[in-house]
Amino acid sequence: MKTLNAILLASLPALGGAAAVPDVVAIKVGRAETISHGAIEHAVILIEDGKIVSIGQDLPIERGIPVLDLEAWVAMPGLVNAYSRIGLDSRAGDEFDPQVSTYDELYADDSDYDKLLEYGVTTLGLYPPGRAVPGRAVVVRPGPDTAEEMLVAREAYLKFYFRSDSRSKKMVKDAFGKVDAYNEKEKKAREKFDKDNSGKKTEEKKPEEKKPEEKTATQDGEKKDEKKDEKGKKTYVPAEPDEKVKPFLDILNGKLNMLVSIGQAADFLHLMDAVGERKLSFDLRIPMTREIDMYEVKKQMGERKCRILMEPEITLTPGTMRMRNLAQEFATAGSKIVFLPRGDTLNGHKTWLRNVGEIVANGLPRETALRAVTLEAAELMGVGARLGSLEKTKDANIVFYNGDPLEAGTSVMAVMLEGRIVFGEVPQ
Amino acid sequence: MSVSMLRKVFGLPASALVLGSLGLILAPSARAATLQDPAPAEGDASGDKDGEPKKEAKEEWFAVTNADVFTGTGSLLRGMTVLAKNGVITKIATDVELPEGATVLDAKGMRVYPGLVAISSSGLLGGSSAELEDTVDPFSSRMVLGLASGITSTGIGSVAAKLKRGEIKGVVMRDKFSTTLSYSTSNPSTKRTLVEKLDGAARYLREFREYEAKKASNKELKEPSKKDVDSSVLAVLKGETMARFNADSREDLIGIARVAQKYGFRPVIDGCAEGWTVADELGRAGAFAVLTPRNRSDKSEALVRAGGTSIENAAILHSRGVQVVIIPATRSVDLGGIAGRDIMHLPIEADFAVRGGLPESAAIAAITIVPARVLGVDHRVGTIEVGKDCDLLVMDGDLLHYQTFVQYAIVDGKQVYDKEAELWFGHIRPRTTPSMAPETRVDTGEEVDPNAPPKVDPPKEGEKPDEEKPVEGEKPGDGETPPPETPKDPPKEGGGGSDG
Repeated sequence: MKTLNAILLASLPALGGAAAVPDVVAIKVGRAETISHGAIEHAVILIEDGKIVSIGQDLPIERGIPVLDLEAWVAMPGLVNAYSRIGLDSRAGDEFDPQVSTYDELYADDSDYDKLLEYGVTTLGLYPPGRAVPGRAVVVRPGPDTAEEMLVAREAYLKFYFRSDSRSKKMVKDAFGKVDAYNEKEKKAREKFDKDNSGKKTEEKKPEEKKPEEKTATQDGEKKDEKKDEKGKKTYVPAEPDEKVKPFLDILNGKLNMLVSIGQAADFLHLMDAVGERKLSFDLRIPMTREIDMYEVKKQMGERKCRILMEPEITLTPGTMRMRNLAQEFATAGSKIVFLPRGDTLNGHKTWLRNVGEIVANGLPRETALRAVTLEAAELMGVGARLGSLEKTKDANIVFYNGDPLEAGTSVMAVMLEGRIVFGEVPQ
Repeated sequence: MSVSMLRKVFGLPASALVLGSLGLILAPSARAATLQDPAPAEGDASGDKDGEPKKEAKEEWFAVTNADVFTGTGSLLRGMTVLAKNGVITKIATDVELPEGATVLDAKGMRVYPGLVAISSSGLLGGSSAELEDTVDPFSSRMVLGLASGITSTGIGSVAAKLKRGEIKGVVMRDKFSTTLSYSTSNPSTKRTLVEKLDGAARYLREFREYEAKKASNKELKEPSKKDVDSSVLAVLKGETMARFNADSREDLIGIARVAQKYGFRPVIDGCAEGWTVADELGRAGAFAVLTPRNRSDKSEALVRAGGTSIENAAILHSRGVQVVIIPATRSVDLGGIAGRDIMHLPIEADFAVRGGLPESAAIAAITIVPARVLGVDHRVGTIEVGKDCDLLVMDGDLLHYQTFVQYAIVDGKQVYDKEAELWFGHIRPRTTPSMAPETRVDTGEEVDPNAPPKVDPPKEGEKPDEEKPVEGEKPGDGETPPPETPKDPPKEGGGGSDG
């Protein structure tokens, strides 16, 4: 019981950061939407140090571990909004600034963040605004009072605003063309380096004939890796790429996601034209305007396995009153769906799940919809291994509802952020 | 055979052939001659397009069967199959063995015409002409309306483009097909400037030819300088681009005709309202006239000579060997303007020229092959011939009849428009049952393939669609599953009655 009190204490001032955190707690819920492994009835979630240690149906609970009996409630991972400007200034740029990070404009002391927790939003992706390439988004947890404490991950994705015009297409080609140029230059520099070194060594130790082979092997491999020779004497250090080139190098190396914002079906074709044969994976931000024609390219988008970041909206076939459930169309065609609130306001977040429920009522599979507000959004931001589902080793970000989360009339009863109750009261 | 045939095909008097337009008319009809014979014309012309690499890996076949083909070269071929490979017509014949996997469109009871060519338009491709390849919107409703009006190719600015729905590749057929020049008697400086430019360019050409001829023997010769030579006018004289003028008055038209004859190029004249008064001059100059037959203007009261517009303008110009292009008054899709005068009414506009005496074949040519010549793409579009692009219209009646609708439009061997399947005209005299029945539920995006056999399996009752993991003990009402799919429309039957 001691530990339990500590939890409740910690819940009072939201996240001070200094509040004592209980080490271990077990939570029994009527049902857990794990997202990654379907729903578990009568689930027991064991939490230690803010992480989920195990989760399963009617797991035995060791004696001595405090138990929260919440059988009447439904647990779900904290909601993840991958695309928000909540609490940030509006500014608009139209520059090629991939080096910019939203982290630098973060103002933690905004009361909106605390409010978001009440709606069950435990992770936010804050994006840089503007056209062209405005910069990189940042992953934060709402609540704490300083930017450092809010930070979850520094690099969520690079935002690329793309429209059907030659400027956008040129920007894509140039951005990756510069990466090619950098790689080419590095390759030459490395070859020269290897040649210089191996020349000396072959003079020193002639019998070792393996070396050249190894060298070519490493050359073909990952270029950026530091290479050491057998004795570790000399190391090739690749030159630091330009700050405007590096994000794109990271994208090609799979270290950073790219979120391309497009506005209509034609934009996608022009984007594919600009990308050309290059192997490049990216996700798409598509605004659900009333008569958007995106269904025209759903097959191509599905083939590319894009994640599609969109509002839970029903749209119309242009020129008609024929309604379309684009989320379902995209999902059927093979794309992954990430939902964001209809409006980037507090109220938008408040009604978020209800709006998602409408899309489910119109045919989108429930699992896809729940995943779209949690794990898929986390994966879009590159933090899918850390949060977004109720799985062991993941952050204990849990929202407790008094019923089905997608049902109208269901309320958020409590919110747990990394093991601490940050909203609501937990009955004992 | 050629002279008599040409007269048949183009309805031209022999004088016109001898005079102006011999070269340009002869060139395409030499090709047309291979098609005059209704016997199977063969030839593998795939990959024939400019600059497009041959695709050896994938062959896409498309065929229109049972078609009454109005080739646009003068012949009507009944009950034909038009077969295309990778977007290029390879065969027009009866009893064609269809390759496996060919997409087949049955045009029984319908007529097949070449896709129309709008010599200029705006908005149909959604992009700007300056960078059309980077801005084209192949999903815009304007493009659908363009195809619904039968337009498959068009000039936008000085770019010749194709209405390729859903694709951005291969949209631009030709760049800089024309150069707009000014020549106006009311502004004499334009006349002087033009003549100066032409003189300069002509002198350069002469010097260059001389240099070319002599450079082998005399190596000290210098290549003539291009300095002060107007490059666009030079391109006109070299035949690389068309010279385009805006002129209506008799004086301007005569002036342009004489300048053109003197410097040896064929002018394209937009407007040409008083052309009928100087048709002989224009015919001798081998001019193209871009007409809007419904335009009206009075003759100047101050002048004694004939003037103003005439309903016979197109007919008279045509009879004197001028190549007539017809275009409606408004060059964009305009649903709010004067009804029937926007770009959607090319055939209707042509009807008014027919009313004034233009032969029907010439009226059809005026919205197909003749504008294609001006755009410099007559080797690809404008008529239905082996080796040309498979741009076809399947229509339910005579092209020039006001009641006729485009039922299907085919561009590069792909069906890109089906009247029944689209929003705009599907409900007017439908081929089968109305497809625009009121919707009862949200579209789930299931596509109905018009060629697919009818779905037979009835919706299974009480069975949920497959879900990855059925969740046990789910509360009733959770995640309501949609009712199983029912086929939306009955499959369409190819061919309905023609105009009844």
